[in-house]
Amino acid sequence: MFVNFAAEAVNTAVLAKGIMMGFGMIGPAIGIGLIGNAFMNAVGRNPEAAKYLGQILVIIAIIELMALLVFASVFIIK
Amino acid sequence: MLSNLLTKFAIDPVIHITPLKVLTIGGLDITNSMLYGVICSLIILVLLVTVARRMTVFPKGGITQFVEVGTDFITDTLKSALESEEKAVKYAPYFIAIFFFILFSNWLGLLPIVGEAFTAHGEPLTRPFTADLNGTLAAAIITWLLVQYFAIRESGFLKHMRHYFNGSLKNPLTLLLGIFEMFSDLTRIASLALRLFLNVAIGEIIITVFSALGGVAGPITALPFTILELLVGALQAYIFVMLSIMYLAVAVKHGAHEEHETPEDHLTIDEVVNAEVNNVSN
Repeated sequence: MFVNFAAEAVNTAVLAKGIMMGFGMIGPAIGIGLIGNAFMNAVGRNPEAAKYLGQILVIIAIIELMALLVFASVFIIK
Repeated sequence: MLSNLLTKFAIDPVIHITPLKVLTIGGLDITNSMLYGVICSLIILVLLVTVARRMTVFPKGGITQFVEVGTDFITDTLKSALESEEKAVKYAPYFIAIFFFILFSNWLGLLPIVGEAFTAHGEPLTRPFTADLNGTLAAAIITWLLVQYFAIRESGFLKHMRHYFNGSLKNPLTLLLGIFEMFSDLTRIASLALRLFLNVAIGEIIITVFSALGGVAGPITALPFTILELLVGALQAYIFVMLSIMYLAVAVKHGAHEEHETPEDHLTIDEVVNAEVNNVSN
């Protein structure tokens, strides 16, 4: 009975979008944080390699793609 | 009173994920992104040819210097990735062209004339070329095919195929891992295309949403995100080229490694240990 009431009174699509955005962004956020942590550790240990390490920092783009996919999925839910 | 005024000006944001058809030529549907892509290509072509003619030994400044800096930057990146200046100059033309194409497509897509400004039959006439998955997919497929072609020309077909199958060919696991490796190579097309498309398209959506939220003050609320998109456009062009250079470096360098063995590889363990001990004692 409650389920029927909830389905009629609550806009479940908006809820789903909110929940998906919230949980989906957790992973990429942790991943980018770990990369930043590793980059700063590496530069602290070996400051001469900062330029080379900055080039490797491009792999953030691979994780960013996951966050963008979450955002794009919002438009699929109707 | 004020809220009345604000709601009067507030408009529902119009969001298009897919490009829309604007006209048909000989059975071929021309979408708005294709139209703007052709316009951008012509602008880029004229710009680059003009710059190439005006190139001098002493930098002149202005747009010439901007293109020179970009060209130099991509050539330097290639040089450090391929570890050879000759190869870097050899492969530079394509990567420089795709870099400037993506950069100017992203930046020209941020102009206020793009989008709902000009409409035909109620549909927008222009759309940024990189905000269309078909466009970015085409760019990614051509990049991938050229990387494969460059790698095969550099190390031969058999040797290029061998670099997927790492290890003894008698081991069945090598075959399995090799096929898996080939599939993961194919997914690079999707990842290159999706990254560029999603970054640009979501940037457009964010600008639209924030200018709609602002109501009367739309231009002011959208300004920070437009500036952010300028940065993201340049960054995505750099990332696209950087990743394709990395794929090329992985595919090309593998053949070179097996040919040139350093003399250190032939040292016995005793010699290495002695050298280490001498280093420490000194």
